[in-house]
Amino acid sequence: MSGSGIDGERRRFIAFALTPSLIVLFAIAVLPAIYLVVTSLTPFQLTTPGSATDFSEPFRNYGLLPGDPRFVNSLAVQAKLSIASVLFQVLLGMGLALLLNVPSRFVEFARTFFLIPMVLPPIVVAVIWKLIYAPDISPLYYAAQALHITLPALTSSVDFALTSIVIADTWEWTPFTFLMVLAALQTIPDEYSEAALVDGASKLQIFWYVTLPFITPILVISGMFRLIDSVKAFPLIFLLTGGGPGTLTEVTNYYAYLLAFDTNEIGYSSAVTVVMLLLVCGISLGLVWMGRRREALA
Amino acid sequence: MSESSLRKATPGRLIAITVTLLILLSPFLWLLQMSFKTNDQILQFPPPLIFTPTLENYVSLWHSAFSASFVNSLLSASLSTALALLFGVPAAYALSRWSGGGKHGLSFAILVTRMAPPIAFTIPFFLFYRWIGLLDTITGLVLVYTSFNLPLVIWMMQPFFDTIPVSLEEAALVDGARTRTVFTKIVLPMVTPGIAATAILCFLYAWNDFFFALILTRTNARTAPVAVVNFMNYEGWEWGKIAAGGSLVMAPVLVFSLAVRRYLVSGLTAGAVKG
Repeated sequence: MSGSGIDGERRRFIAFALTPSLIVLFAIAVLPAIYLVVTSLTPFQLTTPGSATDFSEPFRNYGLLPGDPRFVNSLAVQAKLSIASVLFQVLLGMGLALLLNVPSRFVEFARTFFLIPMVLPPIVVAVIWKLIYAPDISPLYYAAQALHITLPALTSSVDFALTSIVIADTWEWTPFTFLMVLAALQTIPDEYSEAALVDGASKLQIFWYVTLPFITPILVISGMFRLIDSVKAFPLIFLLTGGGPGTLTEVTNYYAYLLAFDTNEIGYSSAVTVVMLLLVCGISLGLVWMGRRREALA
Repeated sequence: MSESSLRKATPGRLIAITVTLLILLSPFLWLLQMSFKTNDQILQFPPPLIFTPTLENYVSLWHSAFSASFVNSLLSASLSTALALLFGVPAAYALSRWSGGGKHGLSFAILVTRMAPPIAFTIPFFLFYRWIGLLDTITGLVLVYTSFNLPLVIWMMQPFFDTIPVSLEEAALVDGARTRTVFTKIVLPMVTPGIAATAILCFLYAWNDFFFALILTRTNARTAPVAVVNFMNYEGWEWGKIAAGGSLVMAPVLVFSLAVRRYLVSGLTAGAVKG
């Protein structure tokens, strides 16, 4: 159909369009990643000259990791935080989506406002919850006082610190799962539930046998996306608890930050980060694999 | 779509939706009302719900170093958006039209760059900037923000290009037009809504960043999100000012998000395909 002249010209154009991006991506994403891995093989400290190029014991940092109680603890905290907040986000997001899945112009208008927590700058979300959790000025504490309940300082309490982060994180990201589930709900043909209704199914049965199978893949995928992103939770922890009390809310990301920029252990921090990066890559691979499987099934 | 007996906007449901929305937004509204109160009003118990709003917090913010950090945020976010679009849009087009084997691998690599925790980039960038003298500069921030905006542009623009029928380009090519001309004169105008939506998202991602700015800037290039946190640490607990600062940081985000929604809905469905 098209001559080789056009094809050749086209190929040159594609190369021309792609090359600059590839070079830039290589320079600002691949090189730093390599540098990170290299640094993780050294005992690099900013204050110790020569330590950046000391490869005498390349796997020392990685060997230290399993025996580092703060690292092991940070993984456990991360797991608790991620699982709890992702679970709440998926369930609440699904509830919201079911509630708002009605054809109405008012609801369509209201939908936009449900997305506000998600689009706010994360640091503003942290400021908002800082104000909610600050005893002197918080509506929460006013309400408790009016009801004669004494609330502990939530973000510095041993029992509630992690929960207070989970609440703030759930508030911030439920709109995301809501948006994904709503999009899935809107692709379900109404005929299915109508047919079930004619056959005498109850609302709960329709949800269980018609709606839920349809949206399960989206629930899983949005949950995975949130799981990957939950590793990044930084502003909330930075502003609300600072990893405390003790190390109760110190997630891996925050521990790596403290190591590198508070105690100057750049080499060791790089090793922690590499491990975290591998975890994220693993989950991403799972996500891609699931997407492919879904395409194959559809 | 047919009206289902299960999906009806009954008054009960509308009330439930409104109440849920109010509860969901209450923490956000609390910050907003606080920014218009004096510190005395903020500490008053019970909190006055009806009060004379004051702009005092905003005015004193604007006369402080905060305004400079606001400008820094604007500059670094817009420059990195422009840079990412310049490189990313042609690349997305090439990827969309190229059926080579490396396509899937590249897509996965792009996904990983988006998913990687920021700390993975922060350590190398920090060391490199310290060495080359880019710490605490707008240029430094622009480079970092481009590192996550460029993958975003490629990722977001590809579906827009996918929706444009190849036959359209082939017709022009057969007529003797060069690929570059086809790209700039025929394809690009058709994806304008997509570019607008992508640009706004890039801007928001860069604007929302806290982590990179916290580590890579000190005073000269400090961005607005970092400046807000600085009040808490260095100017004591001036709640009114903190609330006003937070409100200012989120203002552009709220405005742009409304815009992006309109573009995304219309741009993804109609605009691009019709041509």
